[in-house]
Amino acid sequence: MNNPTQSQKYDVVIIGSGFSGIVAADILAKHQLNILMLDENMHVGGQLLRKIPEQLGEYASYNPDYVKKLGFRFVQNVKHQKITIMNRACIMGIYPDKKLLLEVERKQVMEINYNYLVFATGARERYLPFTGWTLPGVYSTGMAQVLMKSSGILPAKSMVIGGSGLFLFSVAYEYLKNKGKAVAVLEQTGMMEKIKMVPALAHQFSKVAEGFKYLSRIYLSGVPVKYSTKIVEARGNGCVEEVVTGKVNSDGRLISGSEKIYKADALAVGYGFVPNIEAPQLAGCDLEYAEDKGGWIVRVNDNLETSVKDIYAAGEITGVGGALKSINEGNITAVSILHKMELMAESDYVKNLARLLKERGHHMQFVHFFNSLYRVPAEALNDIPDETVICRCEDITMGDIRKSVAAGYKTPKGLKTATRVTMGNCQGRTCGPVLYDMLGLLTGQPKQSFGLFNTRPPLKPLSVEALAGFVEKD
Amino acid sequence: MVDLRIENIKRKEAIIFTVNGKEVSAYKGETLLAALIAAGYKKTKRSPIKGNPRGGLCGMGVCFECIVTVNGVPNIRSCMTEVENNMVVKIDE
Repeated sequence: MNNPTQSQKYDVVIIGSGFSGIVAADILAKHQLNILMLDENMHVGGQLLRKIPEQLGEYASYNPDYVKKLGFRFVQNVKHQKITIMNRACIMGIYPDKKLLLEVERKQVMEINYNYLVFATGARERYLPFTGWTLPGVYSTGMAQVLMKSSGILPAKSMVIGGSGLFLFSVAYEYLKNKGKAVAVLEQTGMMEKIKMVPALAHQFSKVAEGFKYLSRIYLSGVPVKYSTKIVEARGNGCVEEVVTGKVNSDGRLISGSEKIYKADALAVGYGFVPNIEAPQLAGCDLEYAEDKGGWIVRVNDNLETSVKDIYAAGEITGVGGALKSINEGNITAVSILHKMELMAESDYVKNLARLLKERGHHMQFVHFFNSLYRVPAEALNDIPDETVICRCEDITMGDIRKSVAAGYKTPKGLKTATRVTMGNCQGRTCGPVLYDMLGLLTGQPKQSFGLFNTRPPLKPLSVEALAGFVEKD
Repeated sequence: MVDLRIENIKRKEAIIFTVNGKEVSAYKGETLLAALIAAGYKKTKRSPIKGNPRGGLCGMGVCFECIVTVNGVPNIRSCMTEVENNMVVKIDE
């Protein structure tokens, strides 16, 4: 192997190049720090800031809102600053002596030493399994959006969009704008509850404006928008051909006889977002369960430092709240690190932190409402038939899970031993979050009492090339 | 076949790659997953235990449902890979 393990040292390593990562990197780089920013994706900017303008040429109708414009400016800034950026980099391991092992470009292993580490690992989509969700043509709302926004490709000619959360409307808007045939938009939670959200939006003007833009487009296009309506089943011969939907009661349970069938080539589903806590978990950072913040999150103090000294967490992993909260937390992290390194005067630090924390309070208020109001009640899981696949990697069904819990496997660890759930390629990132809800429902115990599905290195499957190079060096 | 490529986008150069030996056209800058969907390949693999058809779900490197064999290397996430000229792609039949 011609790629022996390299070793490099940085003042600050930032994992993730979404909003919080690039904001922190931009501020820290102005102080001549040696910074490494790494990301698993091919581009800088995370899930919200995709590469359309530079990669696919001028997109005639593309007009990002002001938050995204700000974001793209940060992306440009970090590219022009003295920051080492590694894309297509996966974490293999995180060790107590301030050391990381990375797999880069699927072939090289690198050892990285750091003084300060910032986790800005973002969030991923939450799923709620239904019969047929394993059929090709069932896409996450995030995937539907990414196909359109970074490759300029419609997910399908016609599509039902369903699940829960504001993001459904964002995807429906984008799909309609690009001449997709949206068959219906289905929100599983009720409409009246949303009105309670109004006070939390007082400091979120851009979100209100954005929501209004989406809704007006969808209503004007005549696409049916149904509340308290769930996806019951996706059907088709080898891929999605029709979608069965139905009305739900206040527990999220199907009202029998209310089923309706829509014909469509695809189904985009999303149920909000879950924080990507696997890397901080591997690093030994304390986590806490907060349903109103998106599930398991990283515990931080006012400086956004985790329970592990010199390791910080910013953005979605401290509570799912979107771009503005991430910008705020990228700022807080940078200020905290600069102060700790004695690069910021005490008085400036106190003033800056007080201002940022006040702002963070407003964002956390939004986080609470956003994650509570769109949360599908756990009782809805009772509707899932025994034959429905839950763990896609290992083909484990709802029936397998019910049987194992009844037999006494009542914790994540027990369920994993009994069924192999979360032991496939995705390592539980897809079904893990809903399994906590299932365990809570089936055992009647509070979710925080079970502990987590454990993580171990490598965090994602490794390439044989990287492994071979690594072993050879040892 | 229906054209899923969105109008009004100035695309980069056209390229050709193969899927199970069949030639497929795409454009530089597209992800392999997007190029496969645009070419009508919704299914990317079969589930390892029961052999049921699967296709991309998350589109952002999490679910591993869109893995294919690229130039002889198995288990490549097509959503995290840019399509390239002359790429040889194999997907489960």
